[in-house]
Amino acid sequence: METNDQALESKYHSKLTGDTALVVGMLALLVCVEGFIIYRILSETWEIASGFFYLYVIFIGLIVLIETIGCLKVRESIKTHMFEFKYYD
Amino acid sequence: MSEHESAGLVKTLRPFHVWALGVGIVLVGEYMGWNFTVAKGGVLGSLLAMLVAGTMYVIISLCASELGSATKLAGGPYDWARLFIGPGAAASVGLAVYMEYIALEAADAIVVASISQSIFPGLQVYPVTLLVIALLTFINYRGVVAALTLNFVLTMIAFIAILAFFFSTAFGIGDIHPEYLLQGALPNGMIGLFAALQFGPWFYLGIEGAAMCAEECKHPSRAVPLGQQAGMITLLIGAAMTLYLCAVLIPADLLGVSVYPLFEAAQNSGIFIFVALLGLGTFLTCVASANGCVCDSSRSWFALSRDNYVSSWFSAVHPKYNTPYRAVIFTMPVAIGFAFSGYLDQVITFSIVSGLLCYVLIPFSLIRFRKLFPETTSKVRPFVGPLQPYIAYFAIAIAITILSTLFWGYKYNLIFAFVFYGIAYFYFSHRHKKSNIENNWAEMGWPLPKGSGNRRIKKEATSIGDE
Repeated sequence: METNDQALESKYHSKLTGDTALVVGMLALLVCVEGFIIYRILSETWEIASGFFYLYVIFIGLIVLIETIGCLKVRESIKTHMFEFKYYD
Repeated sequence: MSEHESAGLVKTLRPFHVWALGVGIVLVGEYMGWNFTVAKGGVLGSLLAMLVAGTMYVIISLCASELGSATKLAGGPYDWARLFIGPGAAASVGLAVYMEYIALEAADAIVVASISQSIFPGLQVYPVTLLVIALLTFINYRGVVAALTLNFVLTMIAFIAILAFFFSTAFGIGDIHPEYLLQGALPNGMIGLFAALQFGPWFYLGIEGAAMCAEECKHPSRAVPLGQQAGMITLLIGAAMTLYLCAVLIPADLLGVSVYPLFEAAQNSGIFIFVALLGLGTFLTCVASANGCVCDSSRSWFALSRDNYVSSWFSAVHPKYNTPYRAVIFTMPVAIGFAFSGYLDQVITFSIVSGLLCYVLIPFSLIRFRKLFPETTSKVRPFVGPLQPYIAYFAIAIAITILSTLFWGYKYNLIFAFVFYGIAYFYFSHRHKKSNIENNWAEMGWPLPKGSGNRRIKKEATSIGDE
């Protein structure tokens, strides 16, 4: 749903960009922190963890993948309904 | 219906309130409690438990976002089970949520009192516990916005304390001991990896409660998914930072039995500012958690009362503050009862089992929701979660696996919980079958669920036959 009011549309798109930036920033921090920690712990304990390190790779992959797709869906939902439900008034 | 009962809950909350409610309840689990994973499975067991539980909670929070933004009701998991599964499951989940949060509130209040006593030795634990519970009840009685704004401030300070400590340590300020990682990697062998899973939920326990303020949100279809996902990412970041900091600053055998692991890690770093920050963070996060628990447990009781599962007297809304004030006040005697029972460890374990029961029934509610209402319209499903229903089945499998690990050490708690919720299930199923109450979909602005037309025709045909 779109509106004819240019100022309102511009305000809504700028607010949507704010929401997107927040989530993208947090996702980037998540990937960096989890990657750093898993690397540090597994590299220090490699002689024990080498036999089952794939478990960590699978689960961190699942977390990042599902959360990223979930956040994309949240953005898509906000973009679709922002004018209809007047999210930023 | 009285004048009080006709008033509705005020709709003013924004995404940051949802974040504050979810993270505020849970962050305490990163300041304490999670470290029992280290006692069971060492650093590697704890890391796996954090990731496995994290995967389950990411899925649960996506399910909660979709269900919360669709139903926009205060009962959260209770209302989802009521609408999409049935009265027995609804009553079990409603009671499970109530028990989960009220037990946590009691535990948090005792910790706040114990920390206060360690700072001011003249104080007594029980009177301070009473004071904390009474004060938080009063704040929640006065209004949800004030309560959750307070939670936002407290939680933000506690989270910034973890961030500052982590980045300073990662950039080389203070001495760390990477050798502790190998020394305490896997003390109990491969079985420890599996056993550690039972305490994995501590990192995130209660995040699903963020969706319970949906009825009080200004725009629930934006606030619930955005606040809930931001909260989930915050907890994943906080959990990873906490595990790393504690593992490189405290030897694993001491970490496994530590009461305040993050605070102890700060003490071991030897930097005063972090000792002060993490000490303050431990205190504030307990207050924030107890505050969020009052909010969520009262909403669950309010929702149970509104549908006559418990006395409808509790469903009154305050005419001035628009809060479910009787349900809020009722949290006080129950929390005090738990706090003074003397069986706090049992109460906390019961809280975890109650939470895990919810983690089986929340994804199941979503699967049923998708089957009953396959259409995606802005009225029925404004937020559509990804990869469903496959990830919902996966979350159920993880929750059952974690429940099964509780047989190590908590067999009787598990059996007691199953008996308690089993009785609730059959009692309320039977009671509601007799009262023959059906969901009013039209009142929610929804179409009839798939297959209900056939059921109605069959029912009408049977009644004609009877005549």
